[in-house]
Amino acid sequence: MTKKWKALFINLVIVLVVLAPACKTTKKPVKTQETVTTTEAPPPDLSVRTDTATEVKPNEDFVKPEAEPTEEVIPTGIEDLNRWVHEKGYVRDAFFNYDEATLDGDAQAALNASATWLKSAQGSGYNVLVEGHCDERGTEQYNLALGDRRANVAKDYLATLGVDASRIRTVSYGEERPFEEGHDDSAWSQNRRAHLVLVR
Amino acid sequence: MRITAVITFALLTFSAYGQTTVKIEAGAGDAASIIRIAVPFPELAPSQGALPGPVNATEVREAFFGPLTRDIAYSGIFAIAALPPSVPVTPDLLKRNNAQYHLKLNVWFEADQYVIEARLNDASGATQLAKRYRSPVAALGRTAHMLSNELLKTLNGRPGVFLTQIAFASNRTGTWEIWLMDWDGANQRRITFHNALSILPSWSPDNERMVYTSFARGTSDMYIINRRGGGRVRVPSGLSLNTSATFSPVSNDISFVGSERGNPDIYLIRDDGSNLRRLTTSGSIESTPEWSPNGRQIAFTSGRSGSPQIYVMDAEGTNVRRISYDGNWNDDATFAPDGERIAYTSRVNGRFQIRIANLITSENHIVAGEGSNEQPTWSPDGQWIAFQSNRSGKWQIYRMRADGTDLLPLTSAGENKEPDWSKKPE
Repeated sequence: MTKKWKALFINLVIVLVVLAPACKTTKKPVKTQETVTTTEAPPPDLSVRTDTATEVKPNEDFVKPEAEPTEEVIPTGIEDLNRWVHEKGYVRDAFFNYDEATLDGDAQAALNASATWLKSAQGSGYNVLVEGHCDERGTEQYNLALGDRRANVAKDYLATLGVDASRIRTVSYGEERPFEEGHDDSAWSQNRRAHLVLVR
Repeated sequence: MRITAVITFALLTFSAYGQTTVKIEAGAGDAASIIRIAVPFPELAPSQGALPGPVNATEVREAFFGPLTRDIAYSGIFAIAALPPSVPVTPDLLKRNNAQYHLKLNVWFEADQYVIEARLNDASGATQLAKRYRSPVAALGRTAHMLSNELLKTLNGRPGVFLTQIAFASNRTGTWEIWLMDWDGANQRRITFHNALSILPSWSPDNERMVYTSFARGTSDMYIINRRGGGRVRVPSGLSLNTSATFSPVSNDISFVGSERGNPDIYLIRDDGSNLRRLTTSGSIESTPEWSPNGRQIAFTSGRSGSPQIYVMDAEGTNVRRISYDGNWNDDATFAPDGERIAYTSRVNGRFQIRIANLITSENHIVAGEGSNEQPTWSPDGQWIAFQSNRSGKWQIYRMRADGTDLLPLTSAGENKEPDWSKKPE
């Protein structure tokens, strides 16, 4: 089969796949993927299609690459799931200013998103552990206490957003488990956080 | 007055050790005067009789003689008088080299053990101390420390710190666990095997147990363990954090940082987990309690002023007063054995330094060093401070005199922090 024929075939498949779920309005990204994966359409061969796009230059209105489905495995293992919800932004950590344990606008927005997911059909199946972390510029013992306050501030805020407090546990790691090993502002800002971990 | 008291104590000590002929030279009991003592390398044979043969000189030098002479040199009481090698030690030779004492050592091997015979003779040749130790190779360092301690008790009336231990946390196995070492950094050994973050060890007043924090259950909990790593128990408080735990010097209470709903405060609890009491009630962060030597006061850190500062309160939680005003971050207060001074971690120009404050005079000064220097702990004689520093690029534990001199790194494997010096000299 020549590349041209193959490309045409794939484009047809894509159109079918796109049109099938397009009439449904989806509320959440997770549901989109579930819908797509149940259509049982063969996954498009992306490498071939990319070659075609550069060589043959098909009608761009017809291809609509932004509307293409992607297949993605929803992780079921708890570690993979944690990585996945953070990558997707469904669950987001709250970051803090130096030696502070109050939630600014960004931190509240992060926890708003997290609460939404934790209350969703997927998220409500999990409990959450909130880890309090600090940057290395303080002292270890005081930072353990500061991390406890950060974790609890995040917990309380999630609870006000309707996440059942009995689902939320806290632990402080102080400066013992930095996310970034560097010794500059960038690393420090990454290490001052309430880190949300899904637990069963 | 002080000299008299020391000499009296020294005499009592001598009689306890069965010494009959005691001569105290003028000023010998005064810590301010240095005693010059000759310590030639041991004769590697019994002092009399020829039976068991000589032993490995290198082993004796590295495992026994080295630690012994370092102890003597660091004692603050003795100076080592050098003698010419291979010359018989006579009263005349000692006099010419200005040595007031001669420590004569014989070392041999007998039934799989080293035998070490030590005689301390004064300038006239009279024996002030005679001891025989039997030690497996692995315990030669400890034997050296025991002998050093006897020398100090004999000539200064008080034991030294040579038999003390320093507890600390090390990540050299990949996980932070609790370790112990001798005062000179030798004999480092692991005490906990949680395979989980385990930190902040603190000795009991009888040197038998430690309390520390481990995340073994996913939460941070207090545990007590004995010095050999056995008898581990968890101390359930019902609170979060359970950090910075430290034994009362006078009762079975433990002070620690507990937290309820994100409000860390100083609490007391019995070592069996009963009788929880809250000492601080402020809405700010409280941390890092440490008892005064008489158990009547507790130093701690509080953020109530807007930054972490050192406070002292009575052990009932009353009579709180602020101690630190220098710098915008102070933590890790620890009382000197005299109860009059505290050492703490104090930020100066963006780095942490050890600050020593006198609670009576309110004077304070920095014991400066490279890098950041944190978590000071006093030796039980008040002469030394161990602390952690990142001056090498990694956290390691160092020892210095309280005036900052005679600095010595004690650790090098992995990273090491949170030293806590045992409370009793022996």
